Amino acid sequence: MRGRYLRVAAHGELVSLIVLLANLATAHLKPLSSLMGPLHGCAYLFVVIAVWRLDRIDTTARAIAVLPGIGGILALRRISRLGMHVRPMRQDSGS
Amino acid sequence: MTKLFLALHVLAAILAVGPVTVAAGMFPGALRRAQADPPDPAARASLRTLHRICRVYAAVGLAVPVLGFATAGSLGVLGSGWLITSIVLTAGATAILALLLLPGQEAAVGAVEAAADGSRAPVPEERAARRLTMLTGLFNLLWATVTVLMIIRPGSTTGA
Repeated sequence: MRGRYLRVAAHGELVSLIVLLANLATAHLKPLSSLMGPLHGCAYLFVVIAVWRLDRIDTTARAIAVLPGIGGILALRRISRLGMHVRPMRQDSGS
Repeated sequence: MTKLFLALHVLAAILAVGPVTVAAGMFPGALRRAQADPPDPAARASLRTLHRICRVYAAVGLAVPVLGFATAGSLGVLGSGWLITSIVLTAGATAILALLLLPGQEAAVGAVEAAADGSRAPVPEERAARRLTMLTGLFNLLWATVTVLMIIRPGSTTGA
């Protein structure tokens, strides 16, 4: 469950940053930046805290997660490469 | 756009924080019932459901600060004292919910499941339920304070 949230937040972190920068370079729509800015900030904080709270995670993955923008996706890649299960193995994991 | 953000912010707050308050408030009672009789499937089912409501609506609740920042940004009130106080209190409430309350519930559900499987002796742990009651109360107190701050907006020219 936590794994799915983490995946969504990691992609949201990157997409919102791209939208923010694209908006900055082109249209400069103020409502878009006032929505995407907080979205990016919250996704970033969520990713960092969620990765740091995972069990059996190495320091490199923690450091990668702090990187702005792409940190979440890189940390997810590292976690899956290390063969760690983001999703805790529980009986109620189907929920 | 400000009006849309504000409407969605209030709507998200009502829809997300309300269920968490109710479900987290009912959780310790359900936990005591499940601890009293771990093999009872109904007690465990309601415990799992209450925990799931808390978890899912806490995630939905992330929309509340996002839309709140969006509203404050387009209103230009991000520097106001009442808003900064609210942000700090909300951060505290979020930390209690995400770092203490939800993991505590998860551990309690896991302990009851393990007791039901027979893999662990059923230990009636009164402390867990009491601790969750305290954390829920603290969370509710914080967000209720933030709600009052949002309405009264002390120091603001548009305040009540």
